[in-house]
Amino acid sequence: MVGPFAGFKWLALFANWKVFAEGFLTTLLASSLSLCLALVLGIIFGVLGSTHFKFPKAINRVYVEFIQNTPLVIQVFFLFNGLPHMGIMLPVLAVGVLGVGIYHGAYIAEVIRAGIQSIHRGQMEAALSQGFNYVGAMRYIILPQAARVVLPPLANQAVNLIKNTSVMALIAGGDLMYRADSWSSETLHYGPTYVVVGLLYLSLCFPLANLVRYLEKRAEVSA
Amino acid sequence: MIQLTEVHKYFGHNHVLKDISLTVQTGEKLVVIGPSGSGKSTLIRCMNLLEKPTSGKVVVDGVEITAHNAPVAKVRQQVAMVFQQFNLYPHKTVLENLTLAPIIVGGVAKEEAEESGMKYLDRVGLRAKANAFPSQLSGGQQQRVAIARALNMRPKIMLFDEPTSALDPEMIQEVLDVMVDLAHEGITMVVVTHEMGFARQVADRVIFMDEGEIVEQGTPEHFFINPNHDRTKLFLSKILR
Amino acid sequence: MKKVSLIGLVLLLMLSLVLVGCSSTPATTQSKEPADLKAIKDRGVLKVGVKIDVPKFGYKDPKTNQIDGFEIDLARAIAKKILGDEKKIDLQAVTAKTRGPLLDSGEIDLVAATFTITEERKQTYNFSDPYFVDYVGLLVKKDAKIAGLKDLNGKKIGVAQSATSKKAIQEAADKLGIKVEFLEFATYPEIKAALDSGRVQCFSVDKSILFGYLDDSTVILPDNFTSQNYGLASKKGNDALAKLINDTVNEMKSNGELDKLITKWGLK
Repeated sequence: MVGPFAGFKWLALFANWKVFAEGFLTTLLASSLSLCLALVLGIIFGVLGSTHFKFPKAINRVYVEFIQNTPLVIQVFFLFNGLPHMGIMLPVLAVGVLGVGIYHGAYIAEVIRAGIQSIHRGQMEAALSQGFNYVGAMRYIILPQAARVVLPPLANQAVNLIKNTSVMALIAGGDLMYRADSWSSETLHYGPTYVVVGLLYLSLCFPLANLVRYLEKRAEVSA
Repeated sequence: MIQLTEVHKYFGHNHVLKDISLTVQTGEKLVVIGPSGSGKSTLIRCMNLLEKPTSGKVVVDGVEITAHNAPVAKVRQQVAMVFQQFNLYPHKTVLENLTLAPIIVGGVAKEEAEESGMKYLDRVGLRAKANAFPSQLSGGQQQRVAIARALNMRPKIMLFDEPTSALDPEMIQEVLDVMVDLAHEGITMVVVTHEMGFARQVADRVIFMDEGEIVEQGTPEHFFINPNHDRTKLFLSKILR
Repeated sequence: MKKVSLIGLVLLLMLSLVLVGCSSTPATTQSKEPADLKAIKDRGVLKVGVKIDVPKFGYKDPKTNQIDGFEIDLARAIAKKILGDEKKIDLQAVTAKTRGPLLDSGEIDLVAATFTITEERKQTYNFSDPYFVDYVGLLVKKDAKIAGLKDLNGKKIGVAQSATSKKAIQEAADKLGIKVEFLEFATYPEIKAALDSGRVQCFSVDKSILFGYLDDSTVILPDNFTSQNYGLASKKGNDALAKLINDTVNEMKSNGELDKLITKWGLK
């Protein structure tokens, strides 16, 4: 009997290590770019959501509710197959980065909004009374304090973001998951493939998850 | 220096300021007293537009800050405020609390801001705490730092919103001492407080507010010897005991 | 995510397989009946993995919820052979990606799902002799002005993961000296969506499958590439089952049953 983990399958896998190295690099690239995008969007929309004005609040709600309540797969599928019907043909890496970045931007916006709202109202008043404008008060007074509160959930989002870049496998994105699906289904050596790919994802996410724990501990100590 | 004209303020259906007109002269020390909920905190917060009047006009140092597109932030640099809850920046050291706004907002050079900051810390007796964080200080010390922070803005007006109400009794005096010391300078001061001793010692004028109106105003002597209104008498009898 | 949980499942399955594989001893049965066939008989039903999205081969009619097709009839014939009743089958939808793991785990006894026989795959599974020969074809948009593979130089071709069409087209392209790029998708509808949106300029899988996706705006090119021999696959080790399956296929070939089925489903 030939088991899913037969020795020759492992050998074939390691002989084709370049396939997985390329996928790993693509996943790394897509993860870092979409994390940057998600942070920028998250900060902007999180700040909008924490204001006391109706219009920016409404913008925040529309973005967050729409993105959080539709599956990432559909959003990415829309970017990949929907936009071309409107004449916009984004490269597949851009589709992955935009899709995952916008998706996690919504979650990060909620994290940041909660973080900002956890900062006492008097901080904003003190800053305003000293002549800061709203943006300056946010930048120098509120956000640095909120950062301490939001760092653990933010790192947690980063972990999820890395895992969710695997959605690119659905749109032939060339990422680690795509290479794994492609190679394993071609050779049927799915056993070793998903073990190795799982370990590669683990090697990205585990250090971050540990960072989360460390940050949480630190936040507890300083609180 | 500060001029309020027919100011009204509503919170929802709650009419907290009713047609207030008031002028504070340059260099005047004005003390506002009154029971809680009387609108005195809202009044002082209208003076730097932390509360926006529902109607009426507020003019500070010749600028109508209630006007559309008024340079509010610019005016606020001249109007420092000390809060009941201190509101120091917890992520900054004591000295950084003093220098942050002058450097970022006022455009003062870092060295200059630090030098003057140390001077004001010296003045409130906390030079040694320059590198401590607010959380390492007592309440009285924090409020003194807040006053030094206000001073380091080189303001023309100082607003105090119940600066001793959140303090343990034994710390009140150290803060009042600093305020009395300040009052002897030419700076314009508006102080919301229950500290009658302080009022008697420094106030040029005392205002008694109740239910959103200025019920009575006059010199401290007038208030403590011969107030006109029953409401004033009732309030004073309660807090003077 | 669905994909992630699928992998989790697969990993679990594999782990349990490793454990079970170590302890099981195949030579325990006393009777003449081989263990693999006996297990099916004891169960009283043959579990078959079939396609549900390939018209004429294995297709689930959304109106009736019935799965029918050429390969379903084949599976019935095998069931009749083993259990004496062609109704005793339990159909399970499989995709190119799930059919291997489901076989390995024993969830299904047999795969009848447009499974192309290759030398490499024979290392891992038992395949019957081919019951159908198909060719890799090309589906393109009518307005794309593509007449053959050479017009696809520098273009993108959508193929199914785990399908052999990628290799077939690559070889043909190399011969023509043209360059093509392959995008792999998990399901056929996704490839069709990519063709419609212009992400790929060509949809290439086995022709029998392509016919299911032909519409007013698309056309199947006359080109035929590498023959694809479909075989019935079963797990290595279940060798008695494999022999019985192969015998049945060959018997159906010689007595004309197979041709009848092919005609019945309009596959000629």
